[in-house]
Amino acid sequence: MENVIELNKVTKAFEGFKLENLSMTVKKGFITGFIGGNGAGKSTTIKLIMNLLQPDRGDISLFGLDYKNHEKEIKQRIGFVFDNNIFYENSTLLEMKNMIKRAYVNWDDKVFNQYIEKFALPLKKKIKTFSKGMMMKASLAIALSHHAELIIMDEPTSGLDPTFRRELLDILHDLIQDGERTIFFSTHITTDLDRIADYITFIHQGQHIFSKEYYKIEEEYAIVKGELELLDRDTEREFIGIRKSDYGFEALTANKEHTAELFGDTAILEKPTLEDIMLYTKKEREAYVESYS
Amino acid sequence: MWNLILKDIRLQKNALFTLLPALFIYLFSGLSVTWVGIVFCIVIIMDVFSKDEKSSSNILWNALPYTRKEIVSSKYIGALIFTTLILLTILAGNWIIHQEFIQWEQIILVTSVVIFFTSFAFPFAYVFKIQYIVNASLVLLVLYLFTVSTFIPDLNDRIRGFVQTIIGLDDIFLQLIVILSAAVLYFLSWLLSIWLYNRKVF
Amino acid sequence: MRIIISNHSKEPIYGQIYTQIKKQILTGELQAGQPLPSMRKLARELDVSVITTKRAYEELEKNGFIYSVVGKGSFISEQNNEMILERKRKVIEEQLSAAVQNSKEIGIELAELNELLSLLYKEDT
Repeated sequence: MENVIELNKVTKAFEGFKLENLSMTVKKGFITGFIGGNGAGKSTTIKLIMNLLQPDRGDISLFGLDYKNHEKEIKQRIGFVFDNNIFYENSTLLEMKNMIKRAYVNWDDKVFNQYIEKFALPLKKKIKTFSKGMMMKASLAIALSHHAELIIMDEPTSGLDPTFRRELLDILHDLIQDGERTIFFSTHITTDLDRIADYITFIHQGQHIFSKEYYKIEEEYAIVKGELELLDRDTEREFIGIRKSDYGFEALTANKEHTAELFGDTAILEKPTLEDIMLYTKKEREAYVESYS
Repeated sequence: MWNLILKDIRLQKNALFTLLPALFIYLFSGLSVTWVGIVFCIVIIMDVFSKDEKSSSNILWNALPYTRKEIVSSKYIGALIFTTLILLTILAGNWIIHQEFIQWEQIILVTSVVIFFTSFAFPFAYVFKIQYIVNASLVLLVLYLFTVSTFIPDLNDRIRGFVQTIIGLDDIFLQLIVILSAAVLYFLSWLLSIWLYNRKVF
Repeated sequence: MRIIISNHSKEPIYGQIYTQIKKQILTGELQAGQPLPSMRKLARELDVSVITTKRAYEELEKNGFIYSVVGKGSFISEQNNEMILERKRKVIEEQLSAAVQNSKEIGIELAELNELLSLLYKEDT
């Protein structure tokens, strides 16, 4: 299967933060959800993918091309949405569109106007009067109007009301109908991903934890609940993270089948949410840091 | 890249409409054409620059299919275009109001000063915020006033004399040197800015 | 074609799609040669991710219920009902003999086993 985005051992260090040896791929024709806690490096990764930042080490390629020799060609094929406003506050959406459209060879006013109508956006009001939701819709309308093959979005659903979030997911569904378009978006509202994401990429503290098909997560991971007596040094090794209370334990396993065999009927296995996985991974790393410091 | 310059002119449209009448009023009042020209050019060039100073604008233009080199170059070429526009306006205004052409030397002086200023201001502005430059200018102004009042009371006269000498230079050769050094400086500043902007994080 | 997805089921969504299409093929509701919607269209209609419908179609194809033609989509395969029934019967035989084996190990008599079987059989319907 073709990869639209490829990161190969990318390292980028800032003061107090480091993205280390990050390797990941995004598959063509699918929707990939990009998750991780605050400060995990999601925005940095997106900026690296967009060439807004350059890696200290490692290679980044989009559509099989590198930024060094094909910067404009690559950017022509990307539509982007950022979580904060990047338009001039004192300009109107119409003025903004007229400034931006010239940058794109494939700009399509017809498509743009369809979205403006669909989103009921005012063309002649200044951007600074826009609400968070309108701003998001405006960004989206601009991102989708030049027939981009890759749509990259940083937290597109934050600050949106549930109705429009749902509408957005429908739009994304429509976009990937022909199988030529790829969507990559970061979010911390993981319930958005349940129905739409084909792949999930998870990073934590600048490190890549996994990229896999959404359904594989359900197949491999499970929340295990049981009595404390079940835990000993051997069984604890089975888990990514454990939460103990006076009444029992709850833990996350990444090897559902094996855990099921090990505990049999003595423990309860449940379907984990992405949040569970994020939470327990965080716990594990913290425990790791503690035990070695 | 021309799109970037065009977009700067578009953004400046409103400012130009308010500034141009002001320019005419100044010309009417008989202030030195050189002085008015320099101030207007610098104000507009820096205003254009400041509009794209926010990191959000940097993200926008860099995420669009432009390279950093083009983004910097558009500002340098744009500055020349804005200077030309203002000089043309002054030329026309002076003709309408005073029925006289401004001196060829005055144009060279204005252009040179603006280019010298921009050559220093742009690389600075890519590293620091424009606010710092404004602050630095204020400090310089205070220092200047202080110097005038305490050490060299006739500094203003000296500068005026110096300006007159430059304007009065009949020597084509010297004028050429001024133009050439301004051009070289501008070009070097341009390269420096590209280098700086390539390393900028926003 | 009718598919109803439950979000609270223990069965994964692709499994639900697989089972429901399979059932409709076996009962003859879906006829051989009939085209299936594209997996992207189905995903959109069911409001699930494309990879889910893709997985369901892959399973269906692997087990011979459907076939796909590049550029045209997926179609219901010619079902050899005789063969499918035969295969099923074989599976039942194996499972029953395992049950018999287990019964013998702990000394459950045939009568008791029969009783258990008829109880289970009635319970399921």
